[in-house]
This record gives sequence, structure tokens and C-alpha cells, in this order.
Amino acid sequence: MFLARSIAADHKDLIHDVSYDFHGRRMATCSSDQSVKVWDKSENGEWICTANWKTHSGSVWRVTWAHPEFGQVLASCSFDRTAAVWEEIVGESSDKQRGLRHWIKRTTLVDSRTSVTDVKFAPKHMGLMLTTCSADGVVRIYEAPDVMNLSQWSLQHEISCKLSSSCISWNPSSSRVHPPMIAVGSDDSSAVYSGKVQIYEYIDHTRKYAKAETLMTVTDPVHDLAFAPNLGRSFHVLAIATKDVRIFKLIPMRRDATHSSTPTKLEIQVLAQFDNHNSQVWRVSWNITSTLLASSGDDGCVRLWKANYMDNWKCTAILRGDGIPVNCSHDVLN
Amino acid sequence: MEKMSRVTTALGSSSISGRTMFCHLDAPANAISVCRDATQVVVAGRNIFKIYALEEEQFVEKLNLRVGRKPSLNFSCADVMWHQMEENLLATAATNGAVVTWNLGKPSRNKQEQLFTEHKRTVNKVCFHPTEVYMLLSGSQDGYMKCFDLRKKESVSTFSGQSESVRDVQFSMKDYFTFAASFENGNVQLWDIRRPDRYERMFTAHTGPVFCCDWHPDDRGWLATGGRDKMVKVWDMTTNRAKEIFCVQTIASVARVKWRPERKWHLATCSMMVDHNIYVWDVRRPFIPFATFEEHKDVTTGIVWRHQHDPHFLLSGSKDSTLYQHMFKDASRPVDRANPEGLCFGLFGDLAFAAKESLISGDASRKPYPGGDRRYPIFFFKKPNPTEQFAHVSSALSVFESSVESRHMDWLVKTARLYLLSGKPFAELCDHNAKVAKELNRPQVSTTWTMLRIMFSDPANLSTPGPNHIGKLGTLPLMNSFSMKEMGTGLVAEGRLERSKGESRQDNLHLEPGNSLINSNNDENEETEGSEGQAEYMFGDAELDDDDLYSMEHENHAAEEQEYTLPQEAFPLRHEIMDNPSAPEHLQQDKADSPHASGNEAEVMCLTPIESFSLISISQPLFSPHLPAQFFCPVVREMLIHYAEQGDVQMAVSVLIVLGDRIRKEIDDLTQEHWYTSYIDLLQRLELWNVSNEVIKLSTCSAITCLNQTSTTLHVNCSNCKRPMSNRGWICDRCHQCASVCAVCHHVVKGLFVWCQGCSHGGHLEHVMNWLKSSSHCPAGCGHLCEYT
Repeated sequence: MFLARSIAADHKDLIHDVSYDFHGRRMATCSSDQSVKVWDKSENGEWICTANWKTHSGSVWRVTWAHPEFGQVLASCSFDRTAAVWEEIVGESSDKQRGLRHWIKRTTLVDSRTSVTDVKFAPKHMGLMLTTCSADGVVRIYEAPDVMNLSQWSLQHEISCKLSSSCISWNPSSSRVHPPMIAVGSDDSSAVYSGKVQIYEYIDHTRKYAKAETLMTVTDPVHDLAFAPNLGRSFHVLAIATKDVRIFKLIPMRRDATHSSTPTKLEIQVLAQFDNHNSQVWRVSWNITSTLLASSGDDGCVRLWKANYMDNWKCTAILRGDGIPVNCSHDVLN
Repeated sequence: MEKMSRVTTALGSSSISGRTMFCHLDAPANAISVCRDATQVVVAGRNIFKIYALEEEQFVEKLNLRVGRKPSLNFSCADVMWHQMEENLLATAATNGAVVTWNLGKPSRNKQEQLFTEHKRTVNKVCFHPTEVYMLLSGSQDGYMKCFDLRKKESVSTFSGQSESVRDVQFSMKDYFTFAASFENGNVQLWDIRRPDRYERMFTAHTGPVFCCDWHPDDRGWLATGGRDKMVKVWDMTTNRAKEIFCVQTIASVARVKWRPERKWHLATCSMMVDHNIYVWDVRRPFIPFATFEEHKDVTTGIVWRHQHDPHFLLSGSKDSTLYQHMFKDASRPVDRANPEGLCFGLFGDLAFAAKESLISGDASRKPYPGGDRRYPIFFFKKPNPTEQFAHVSSALSVFESSVESRHMDWLVKTARLYLLSGKPFAELCDHNAKVAKELNRPQVSTTWTMLRIMFSDPANLSTPGPNHIGKLGTLPLMNSFSMKEMGTGLVAEGRLERSKGESRQDNLHLEPGNSLINSNNDENEETEGSEGQAEYMFGDAELDDDDLYSMEHENHAAEEQEYTLPQEAFPLRHEIMDNPSAPEHLQQDKADSPHASGNEAEVMCLTPIESFSLISISQPLFSPHLPAQFFCPVVREMLIHYAEQGDVQMAVSVLIVLGDRIRKEIDDLTQEHWYTSYIDLLQRLELWNVSNEVIKLSTCSAITCLNQTSTTLHVNCSNCKRPMSNRGWICDRCHQCASVCAVCHHVVKGLFVWCQGCSHGGHLEHVMNWLKSSSHCPAGCGHLCEYT
């Protein structure tokens, strides 16, 4: 069973994103009111706002945590065409803020000419890398060459997707057989361009990202997408929030021994497609074992999806945001 | 972006209709102004001064006001204003400081009427009085504002702001004598036109220049100002002190601000730098633009609503040399693209969910599908006023916590903690892990462990376990209850048949003894659990012990392997071994793909928890001391891959470690490495550092084992003499004292040692933790305020 715990967020406008940190103890929210709030879980389970600061001069679309190996680091992106990297530090002994934790801006990434719609850190094994995508369809990959210096980021790659980009997701696989892969979703609403999800793969040979695949069957605006945690699988699972929830399985085809300069061929299978939200689906999120997928839509509900051993996906629970009784059998969550 | 929507507005006698359209100008525009009846627009810039007629489908050039052969600086306009009462009258502000009026009624080609050259620098703004025909006001870079009577040759009054350059002047719409002026130093002044000696009122509106201001067309006291500080502020001027009632944050400096006609809360802004878009804001929701026009490719320099009572048409001129008419219907609505929800899965299965409150409350206001909800035609929804809907929004944040009894990540954590991966004979490890899995209600995994034990254990080994292992033995009744002699490989098929017929019967047969034995063994098992529960990793001495255990285990393996190669008593199967010439060195052997194995493998793949029990009974006949372990390797390999593909990397890695060399060669290194890194990442995420460390240590992948060595260097100072310890061991070779004495109990620390980086005193973790509860000073008495981070 789930217990709904309501939190007085006190943001002055819409909250666009919530994000747990790596260990699930901290949470960050961002809002159109241009601020980011950090919440820490107290011992009795209450979420307490420990920081609240103005981050941008426009709506903050997304906030995301870096791997804790790099410190307590957040990245945010905004309508004001910038992305920013923030670090929590403990005040120096000499400082007035001795012993107090506070967040300081480490860098502002100003390369975009339009609203920056998503920001994501690359998987840890790739080093300290940050990716942004913007409404003009450019995906930018930055790298901090020195992980101790968060104020220096160099723009490593610029991928032009042609379509207004709304969301990105890194393939989390740490396998050396899987080259770095990134999926980009577009919220372009015109029907002229079909295939609103593009998948790019790093080509060792050319040291560039090249398009590996376009999911042509996704023709409606995509609001969110998420690779499932890989956990040693040889294939990848990608969830997409568009006018429905879709789950794709991407199976890399065996590549020949000679490292070719073309991206891996992917075999694409649709595992599931659900229109139960009966409206736009805004968010999808995987649990860490990738056994459960959560989706939320314009119907104000969160739905949980789970596959049985035959890869049949079923809705196992519907949660309503206002805490009205939720139906959910707990054995399916095991 | 050519949208063909069309709006017709009836405004008393006249009506306006049109569409989103644009035309190319010859040069960048600086300002535009529209005539009173909204049929013509004048565009002025450094190199352009033209009048266009606003036709239904297009702009039509009517008149070029730049005449004469030699270009005059008087034509170079910073601002232009069309008189709202006298339709032939225009005024321009020239960059050379001239204020020029133009009479379109003049028969000659040159329409210039009056020329005032009183300002010394660029005139930034001209403004006609809304009701007085002949009154014109100008504001200039030189800091002066001048009021002209167009019937006279000179200005009638000069207002000195005593501040910096004037950026904007605006007559109040309602107060006949009042005008507002904005300045580069951030001030706004209010003047009475009759009193040029000093301003009525002054206040600081922005930090940095105030580029523009605009009086609300209906509300007497409201003045909107925009500045370089990227803000638009709305001031209530009716009170004694100007009161800021709204503040809108934009993303770039605000160059122009214009209230939207007939919409009390709306205003349009554009920027002079970086941002080329025009935004329409609802001042009550200061963070997200209500609407955006994104057509211009360069800075928008002039915006004007086409008609003072029509909110649907906006005209704009830009540095990109285009003139646009924007239809409000065609504007993009950022809030529609803005995501109203946030959702994130936490580590332990909690869900954080933030959503727009109106969505959660589930009223009928929810957006239907684009293209129509299939169930209801769109017009069935009574649409609430979109403006009102826009202004009042908030999000609710909630966390769905999985309740304690169903924390569905618990099994993973518990399994990770309780599994034994090394330190005991192979069979015991399997038994133990099977039991752990069973207790966590994962019968399939449990069965797998049991099977592994059956497959890879050496029966000879089982007959000579130590006294405390006897109980364990019993948990595998199958091994003993069936004799191994008669089962030839040919029986496999029979066995399978048998299973399909009498599955339930067999289940009972084998389950019951198993269960009872497990129960009877509980006591013993708990003991072992206790010892492994504290699978803590120590620095220093303790490590050695572990290594010993580990290496001892290796010896065991060696013994087992040897015994496998020895011919055993059941003769029929000797044949089988002979078939396999490479059998003795089974470590190097590749997959022995016998038909039986593959058949069995199919079984494994389609396991469901219930069937799995019967499977034991099948694999049991297979079991024979004469089937070498590598016989099963392909099956096990398939099984591991199956688990991994199912996402249970924990099982894959655990089996991999426990089986060790028995299976390692079967699976390619990259896959193993992938499993290891995935599992380690998972463990670290769950903060199971000890387990993750154990996995790293036990792994056989070189890429993994080196994880613990990379960039790990310990520099140790002697806590006595504070000098670096050069030699190994805990005796400092300078002061000849033991360096690692616990500052609390004064004993030598073995195991976990913590120390303060500041004063290098420390000791047993527990002792220091206890000490710090009562005091924040160093337990060694050095007076240091210790910091443990």
C-alpha cells in the first residue's frame, strides 16, 4: 500500500519537476516561480525544505542531481535559455556561514538561443558530463574536465535534432559493449515530421554522436522519456510519455568485430502501449530495479505498470494526487 | 508559421479583420505607430519612413515619406507617433535631436511640416496629448523634456528631470495635465504640464535604466514600467507613494511595454537585446507569459496594438526589416507546453508527485486530447474563462510512500545483506542462499540455488562434512532419497514424462521432507546467519583472515575438482565421460552442448514458481556423480543470462561469485563486467557499502577488482609525533610508539579506525561516536574541535 504524504511546497507557480537524489534521501523541486527548493527527509520521515533560492529569470523546467561522487550537485534549466550547475557547500570556518550548508552557482551555460527544456547528467561511468536540450532542437553535451572544478564546462558535442526538443534520457548501461546512447524526445506538434523520438549513439571511430534510430511510430508530441535502469541486461528499455504511455525494447544487433563507423543497428519492439490516462501523459519514471514504471497524465493520476515474466505489462495501481483511497494490491509490488 | 485563422472584430461602426501576416521592409525599423482607425501603420527607422495600409490579406505600401535627394538626418527616426485625433498628423523623434511633425494632407511630396531643433542629443520619444490636438511632448537623451504647441515655432515649456537621459514620456490617459517620464538612472517622474519648474513626484522604479512606461488605458492610476533589470513593474499611482502592485520577471531587458486593450491584466513586452520574441503577460501570473509571438528573427523594436479597443491584433516592427501583424489566436501559449506535473521514483519505491491542483481535483477543466477526446465532443465542456484559469494556478506536492510492510525494495536489500558469497564450502553457500531466498518468498530463486548445489556439488564431499554440516545436508533430501545408481541419461525423457503426468504427486513427495527438515534446522541456520550478518569489512589485520578463508576455499575447490575426475562406481555413465575427451580439464572446456542439457535449459527458461519444485525432481534424476559439473555449464549460463535479462542482476552476480571458476569461463568477460558494474552501482545506491566492497573483492574481473585500487592512496600521520608514517605497520619509526591507539580506550585499534583530519586523533568508530555525543572536542585532549565529515 502507498501512503500519500502531502507536502506544503509553497511554490508560487506550477511545479514542473521533482527529482530524488541518488540515495533517495533528498528531493529537489523546481517551479515556474524561478526557484528551486531542496527537501531533506528527516528521521521521522517528514520532508523538510532546507534550501530555497531563485535560480533563473524564467520558469525552471527541470532539476536533476549529479552522482554524489561529484558532491551535492544540482543542475537546472530554464525558459531563460540557460542551464545552471549548483553545488551545496558547507561554510568555511572563517566565514559567517561557518558550518551552514548553502547552495552556490558554479556555472551558467548560455549557449542556447531558446528555452532549455531538459538537463541531465550522463551516467557516472562516463565522467562528469551534462546534457541539455533546447526548444530549437539542439542537444548539447558538456564535460567538466576536472571533476573538482564545477565552474569549468566545455561544450563537447552539439547534436542538431531539427525538431524542437522537450526531453532527453541517457542510456544508463555501464557495459562496454554499449556505446553511450541518448534518446531525445520532441514536443513538436506538427504532423509533418513523424518520429518524435530520436536515438543517438556515440561513434568511437568519428568521436561524434550519430543518429542510430528514429522511432517513427511515435508521431505525437513527446513530453518525457526514460531509459530503464539497465541492470546487466543486454537490451535497453525505453518508456515514452506522449498522448499515451509506451514502452519500447531496443535490442542492439550483434556488430561485427571490426569497429564500424556507423551506429549499432537496433531492433525495436513495442512492449506496451497504454492510453488509460485518456489524455496527455506528462511524466514517466522507473524504479531502480526497472520492474515498475510510473506515469502521470492530465487526468491527475499516477499509474504504475509492471510486467509479468512473459513481458506482459499491466496496470497495477492508480494513485491520485489528493490522497483519495488508492487501489493497489501490495503483492504485485514485490 | 503561416496560420490562416482570421478574426473579425466589430468596433462600433467599423470592423477589423485580418490574419497573421508580414511584409519585408527595406531597412530595420525603430518604431511603428498606427493611425486612429487602424487602417494604416507608419514605420520609422534610421533608413526608413513609410506608411503601409493594413489590408485584409497583406500590407500595402502607401507612402514613402523619405523624399529629396540628399539624405537628411531629420529622417533618421528613433520614434514615431501618429496623432490619435488628427489623422494627417505625425511626429517623429530624430537621432540628431530634431523633433519633426509631418502633415499627410500636404499636396507636395515633402510632407514635413514643423522642425524643432531644440534638443541637443537624440530624442528618444515623442508623444501627442491624447485629447489636446496641438500639444506634443518629447523626451531626449540630453535629459530634457519639451512641450510643443504645434501652432508655435518653439517649445512652450521645458522640463528638466535633473536626472539622466529621458527614455520615455507618456501622457496620462485620464489626467489631462499629467505625464510620466522614465530615466536612465532608474527613476520615474510625474509632471504636471502646467508646472515646468519641478516634478510632482519621483520614485526609483528599477535598478538601471527604465526604458519604457505605459499608462493603463482604463485604470487611472496604473503605470507599467520596464527596465534593463528584466522586470516589468506595475505601479499604483493613486496613493501618496507609488506602490508596486505587480512585478513581472522577463528573461531580457524590457524595451517596450504596452497594455493590451480590453484586457485589464494583460500587457505586451519586447526586449532590445538577445530575445526577439514578443510576450503578452498576465500581471497576476508574473512568471509564465500568457502568450508569445515568435516570428521575428531579430530584435523587436516597436510594438503597438492595432486598435485601442481591439485586443486581437498586435503590430510589430523589427530590426530584421519586417513588419508583422500578429493574430492573438496564432500566438503560442508557453503554458500549454509547460509541463504541469513532476514525477520521480525514489530509491525505496516512494513516488514524489507534483501536479497542478486543478488536475488533481479532477474537475472538468482538464484538457481533452488535441484533436478531441474521443468520448466527448469538445463543445460539451463548458469552458471556463481561459484568462481566469490562467491566472490562478498552483501545484500540489505529495510523496507516496510505500508502507513499511510492503517496502518493495526490501527484498533486494535483505538479499544483498544476507547472501553468503564466500567463506564457506560451496554447498553450504548454496544452501544458505537458497534459504535466504525462500524466507524472502522468492521460491524460484531459492530453487535455483538448490539446483546449483545439486549440479556442482560433489557427492563424495557430502559424505564427509564436519559435524555442524549434517543438518544442512538434510535440506537436500533429494540427493539422499534417490539413489544415483540407476539413472542413466536415457531416463531424462522418462522423468520428464512422469512429471507431466504426476506432477502434484511428486511435489508432495519431495516437498514434505524438505520443509520439515528446514524447520528442524532453523536453530543452526540462525547461528550461521548471525555470523554473516556482520559481514563488515575491516582495515588492517582482519583482512588477512578473510583472505585466508578465501584461499582455503580455493583449495576446497581444487579438492572437489580432483574428485570429479576420478572415475566413480556407476559404470553405465562412464561411457558418457569418455564421450567428452576434454572432460578432465573442465575449466578450459567449452560448452558441452548435449541434447539433454538443452532440453533442460528450456525447462529453466519457462520456470514459474510452482513448476520449479517439480523441476527439482526432474533434475534430480539427472543428478549423478558421473555427470561432470561442466555438463551443466551451458544450462547455468543460460540461466544466468535469463536472470540478468529479467533484471535480477543480483542473482546473476551472486551465482557468478559463488560458482567462481566453475562457470566463469562460460560467460564472456564483458558481460560479466557489465553485471558486476550494474550490481555494484545498485548496491552503492542502496548504501550497502560493505556488500558492494565484498562483491568488488570477490569478483574475478580485472576491471572490477581494480575499482578499489583506483585513486585510493592513504597518507597516514603518526598521531603522536604528527609526522608522516613512512613504513608499513602501526609502529611509528620516529617516536617508536604505536600510532593507532584509540584516543578513548587507549587500545590499539584493529578494524574500523576513524580519525579527525584536523588533529589526527581518533580511534574505534564506536568509541569516537559515543564520545562525540557528549563533547565536540577531541577525546585525546588536544583541544581541537574535531570535524568528522
